[in-house]
Amino acid sequence: MNVPDHLTDDLLVRAFDDELSDREEILVNAHLPGCEGCRQRYGAVRQLSGRIESVIAAGVPDALPNDRDALVERLEAAHVRPAPLPVGRSALRSFRWIGPIAAAVLLALLFVPRLARLLSENPTTASQDRPSATFEVDGETFIPLPYSNPDLPMSAPHIVEMQVPVASLASAGVMFEPVSNEAMASDRSVLADVLVGLDGQPLGVHVLSVE
Amino acid sequence: MQSGDVIALRVAGWGTEYLEDTSHRRLVLEYYDREQLPLRRYLLCLGVDQENCREILQETFLRLHQHLLAGGDQTNLRAWLFRVAHNLARNSQTAFHASRTGPLADAMTAGELASGGASVEDELLAKERTVRLHRAMQELSAAQRECLVLRSQGLKYREIAGVLNLSTSTVGENIQRGLERLKDVL
Repeated sequence: MNVPDHLTDDLLVRAFDDELSDREEILVNAHLPGCEGCRQRYGAVRQLSGRIESVIAAGVPDALPNDRDALVERLEAAHVRPAPLPVGRSALRSFRWIGPIAAAVLLALLFVPRLARLLSENPTTASQDRPSATFEVDGETFIPLPYSNPDLPMSAPHIVEMQVPVASLASAGVMFEPVSNEAMASDRSVLADVLVGLDGQPLGVHVLSVE
Repeated sequence: MQSGDVIALRVAGWGTEYLEDTSHRRLVLEYYDREQLPLRRYLLCLGVDQENCREILQETFLRLHQHLLAGGDQTNLRAWLFRVAHNLARNSQTAFHASRTGPLADAMTAGELASGGASVEDELLAKERTVRLHRAMQELSAAQRECLVLRSQGLKYREIAGVLNLSTSTVGENIQRGLERLKDVL
């Protein structure tokens, strides 16, 4: 209903719903205090809206307590279990957001020089001859490497399978069983799982196979 | 979750995915506690029966959990919940077709409305007025009724527009016309 020189019903409804533009709000605020007719119509909108709310609320029973319990159970059933760190080849498969090939190439480029440097700087930290120096992650044994922040949590996607130069491992005193002269040749590399911390630094290495 | 719990989980070797999921589940339950009643009101007004309503609500909040796990947008989860519930109801066979004989109407005719402590005559008048209003709401177009119910649950026009896939101006028109028709009834 449009009333000349008065606010339209549309404006009054949107004023009640706080849906006016700045310009409309100025118009309504300027008009409403001085117009008894529009104030009454505004009051009617408020009253009708209140009744509608009452009607909608009236017939709705309270939720059953076990509805919430059922939701909790279903959420519990669907939730992400504390995932064990994947080992060996499965770790690479869990690299979901990067293609395995791209990841291997990229990480090899990034970490092989760093790994070599770290191994050569700290030869005593990595040795398969001393079991006490190793640590286990869900059944997979890693030789520890210098790590920037040991408090960071370890998570599954950060184990990558890659080729590590034998020279780097040898300089760190990592020996293989059985010892093979061919395998220990300085120009060879070995397949290894490298555990990478969340800060991007290598945390440990586990030699998988010698080529 | 307290920081001690986080440390304990780290010691146990549990990954960050678990920590995030725990946080998401807690958020889902917070939203359930806050929004399940407005959502149920909306669904029942659409004509969804009680049993389907319960199932749709469960499914809605499970989808919220999945949405959070997938890193979905969290800017307006309230409107998101209404949209999902609306779509689930639309997909159910019984919804949108039983609005005239739904549980809300049954409650009205059974006289289950709160009286408010007035005199017997006032009670009867209020009840009669409410029944008329409810019947009039069932005579509205589906869009008008949905807009009015969502509005009554506190959604803004742009949120209603998102739930019903309408333009904001169309939402305003539906509300305006719906109120006009209901005013005539009263």
